[in-house]
Amino acid sequence: MNANSETPLIEMRKIDKAFGPVRALSGVDFRLGAGEILGLVGDNSAGKSTLMKVLTGAYRRDGGEILVAGEAVDFASPRDSRERGIEMIYQDFALCGNMDVGQNIFLGRWPRRFGVFVDRARMYGDAARVLDRLKVDVNSVHAKVESLSGGRQQSVAIARALSFEPKVVIFDEPTANLSVMATAKLLETMAELKRQGVAQVIISHRLTDIFEVGDRVMVLKRGVNAGERRIKDTTEKDVLELIVAGAA
Amino acid sequence: MSAASTEAGTIPAALKAPAELWGGWEAGLLLLMAGLYLAGALVNPAFFGTTDAFAAVLRDASRFGVMAVGMTFVIVNRELDLSVGSTLGLVSTVFSVAYAPSHADAGIAIALAVCIGAGLLVGFVNGILVTVLRVPAFIATLSTLFIGRGLVLGLSGGNTIAFGQKAAADPWFFRLGETNAAGFNNQIVIFVIVALVGAVALGKTRAGYETAAVGGNEQAARYAGISTTRARIRSYVLSALAATLAGLMNVAQDKGITSQNGQGAELIVIAAVIVGGASISGGRGRVLGSCLGAVLTVLIDKVLREGVPITRMVDVGGVQMEIGAVAQLPPGAVPAFLGLLLVGAVLIEPWATAGGLGRLRAWLMRAPLPLLAPRGDAAALAARTRTASALERTHSATGPIAAFLARRDAAAILLTIALWLVGFVLRPDFWAGLDNSFAMLTAFTEIGILSVGLTFVIAAGDIDLSVGSVLALAAAVSAFCLKELELAPIAAVSLALLAGLACGIVNGTLATRFRLPSFVATLSTFYIARGLAAWLVAGRQLSGFPSGFTLMGRSLAEVLTALGAQPGKGWWASFASAVSVQTLFLLILACGAAIVLARTHWGQMVYATGGNERAAGYAGIDTRRVRFLSLVASSLCAACAGIIYAAYLRSFNPAAGQLRELDAIASVIVGGGSIFGGHGTILGSLAGAAAITLIRALLSLQILLPSGGSYVLPQHWMNVFIGSILILAVIADIWLRQEHIVSRAITALRRGSRPRDAR
Repeated sequence: MNANSETPLIEMRKIDKAFGPVRALSGVDFRLGAGEILGLVGDNSAGKSTLMKVLTGAYRRDGGEILVAGEAVDFASPRDSRERGIEMIYQDFALCGNMDVGQNIFLGRWPRRFGVFVDRARMYGDAARVLDRLKVDVNSVHAKVESLSGGRQQSVAIARALSFEPKVVIFDEPTANLSVMATAKLLETMAELKRQGVAQVIISHRLTDIFEVGDRVMVLKRGVNAGERRIKDTTEKDVLELIVAGAA
Repeated sequence: MSAASTEAGTIPAALKAPAELWGGWEAGLLLLMAGLYLAGALVNPAFFGTTDAFAAVLRDASRFGVMAVGMTFVIVNRELDLSVGSTLGLVSTVFSVAYAPSHADAGIAIALAVCIGAGLLVGFVNGILVTVLRVPAFIATLSTLFIGRGLVLGLSGGNTIAFGQKAAADPWFFRLGETNAAGFNNQIVIFVIVALVGAVALGKTRAGYETAAVGGNEQAARYAGISTTRARIRSYVLSALAATLAGLMNVAQDKGITSQNGQGAELIVIAAVIVGGASISGGRGRVLGSCLGAVLTVLIDKVLREGVPITRMVDVGGVQMEIGAVAQLPPGAVPAFLGLLLVGAVLIEPWATAGGLGRLRAWLMRAPLPLLAPRGDAAALAARTRTASALERTHSATGPIAAFLARRDAAAILLTIALWLVGFVLRPDFWAGLDNSFAMLTAFTEIGILSVGLTFVIAAGDIDLSVGSVLALAAAVSAFCLKELELAPIAAVSLALLAGLACGIVNGTLATRFRLPSFVATLSTFYIARGLAAWLVAGRQLSGFPSGFTLMGRSLAEVLTALGAQPGKGWWASFASAVSVQTLFLLILACGAAIVLARTHWGQMVYATGGNERAAGYAGIDTRRVRFLSLVASSLCAACAGIIYAAYLRSFNPAAGQLRELDAIASVIVGGGSIFGGHGTILGSLAGAAAITLIRALLSLQILLPSGGSYVLPQHWMNVFIGSILILAVIADIWLRQEHIVSRAITALRRGSRPRDAR
């Protein structure tokens, strides 16, 4: 991969973020190439989620700059970053269990007909197409989300993210609530997304998962860059040492 | 602390106890009470100037104080007990029925034992409903409230029971309610003892600490090994026992009962505890504060009820005469102020405990403002968190039973058909006839209109307890405008709708802007709206409205006749005399609402908000607006029902819409709505309303016995059934549809011991 020579898809430079007296991030650099899978790892309170929330606009940064495809951006809310093709999948999936798969995929932006009505035919058709593209085994777009297993609920959350045609998908602890089988299935899905050219950031504690599908791993420690490695050039032990010791 | 602060002449900060510890709140209450009492004495020296009055305030405060001690435990547990007033009434009725020579004529010991048994039963029922059966506290205790009231009516037959003569035989008990040799009432002694025991139990014992821990963070308490179920049941039992004691104090004082005993007492008791500094979001509350709050609330109640002596000029046969009179609030208006007090206290409490009082003091003394502690909304939101559990479940329902259960309104539709058939079998001569059909359709219309609005609120994850009161307010406003102000019908209707709109805006603002749990917000509106309605119509005979107005409550045939197009014979004539204008209105309203809820963007936003408010917010839905507008829609529907009520009955009765909130909530829940939000359809709610109407009609049906006689269920027992139906519907919803406890058990049985598919 030659991400260094090209303009990266996302670049964050010298990001600072403080919550009151607590400095969550200080001068953090971040880079993500097109179609790349990056593992973002670090101890608790290392600033992983904060960094990604700064990227999506959920938090406002105190300093530094964010470039998307080389262009400086300033997101005020996740809605702004969504327009530039950045999607985040939350740890608890943020779905409405009482609604069906199709309704959840288009949550809040159900296709309209005559201005006020929901175009159900189009909604379920489009939902089926997104699920198909994802190659996941959610049987019916009419199934209620609360009746699905954790892994399938996550598939719905991913499908929902994909329906925005994103260039980047950020997974927050994606395997934390999944069984072993569902985790394997998720890793397949991630590889499939990569084939379709979607860049992904995986915030995770589980190095095994990142080593299976990731291209690169970036380590944060107490809000500063602690180093990064290419997956093919490193070992889990090496990364673990970075997380604990923080040596560059 | 450093020398610098000593030089500045201030007390070192770390040595200063927080206001809560040295009782700043309680001191403020005492000051407020002294001021209020002085004001009362100034305005009405004839009453408040005497020591008798002081003793009377304390005596009446004693019963509420005792209940407030019990309620403190419940509220610190982050729950609510709306049933205390009805428990008081129930216990005093049970005592009277057992003891009175006109009834069972049992001995005092037996009567007392039965009372304590009844109190314990109520407490355990409440506790088990809330813990084991997972019913939200307000709906569980609201049901016990109505069931208790129904039992009071049923047991006493709505009559007054007195046993003054027999009471002389057991002076040791009845002296408890009388003035003692020292000149004050023995109830005050009981109150002080209960307050001390309660204060020690809550503040100094492990049980009290457990209560606070459960209210602060139930999960953490459970992880710490506390049996949270036991702690919560214990609080309900304590609350019910306190209400039992208050009920016994009541009979000891009055040596008899009326069926009104304890009505509305829950409002005073809850207001007392919140005014006393407890937090509606649990974990905080002190017995001492609650007791002071009880005295303050009773004092306010007394000041409001005792009139102001005035002189007024009366024209007697052309001669102006000056006569003494008393300017007084009409009966029924007082709850409006108590409701305001409750909502005021709930709003002020988080601000005050976050340091708001310190800021106020600093502002008054022109000192720099200290910062408010950043806690704010987390506490008030806590009441809404239980909805999220749906996502944690990894369970897939299969099989014909689950598929049947999947259609949430199926049960209500089947129930409606079955109930109608039961009626038809029992009274084939009468049931399907015109008169009965018209009566049932009319009754159905009122519940139906309320439940249409309520479906939006419940689907959006809130509750509206105020619909019955808003109905009464709108009816009172339209009656008042027509008769007192002699406005045109159209203006009266508009003003009544405006009153409903105002209630909806208040509900919505309190629930969304101030983030009160919706049951608290609408509970205050429940009292305020009914109090205002009573005030508006007090002492007036409001009937005989213009015919343009009353046509809204007539049957289609009468309207057509009035318009000069009398229907002829045949099915059209029967249809026109069975169907009224209001039924057609309901039909149009329901069709509109059904399309909005099921097919439009807005309806989807309602379901998303009720299903997972946070996820809906992430998806860009303005959930506060959705909830606000749903509450407004519900109040508007209630106002429509109120206008129709006045037009149909051609008069206003202050009891309008009483218990209707119960019918409407039960309709929505029976019809597939979930008390946790995210579910409910208009069709289902209407089917639910039909089922409730049919149950009411069946319960009042005269059954012809084979022997030739007939039997009618005494109407006093009706509320017991309606309350039981509500609670059964909620439990069935939670067990069958929310938690899938039953279908999961069936699945588990069928699978045997095979491990669940690990997906």
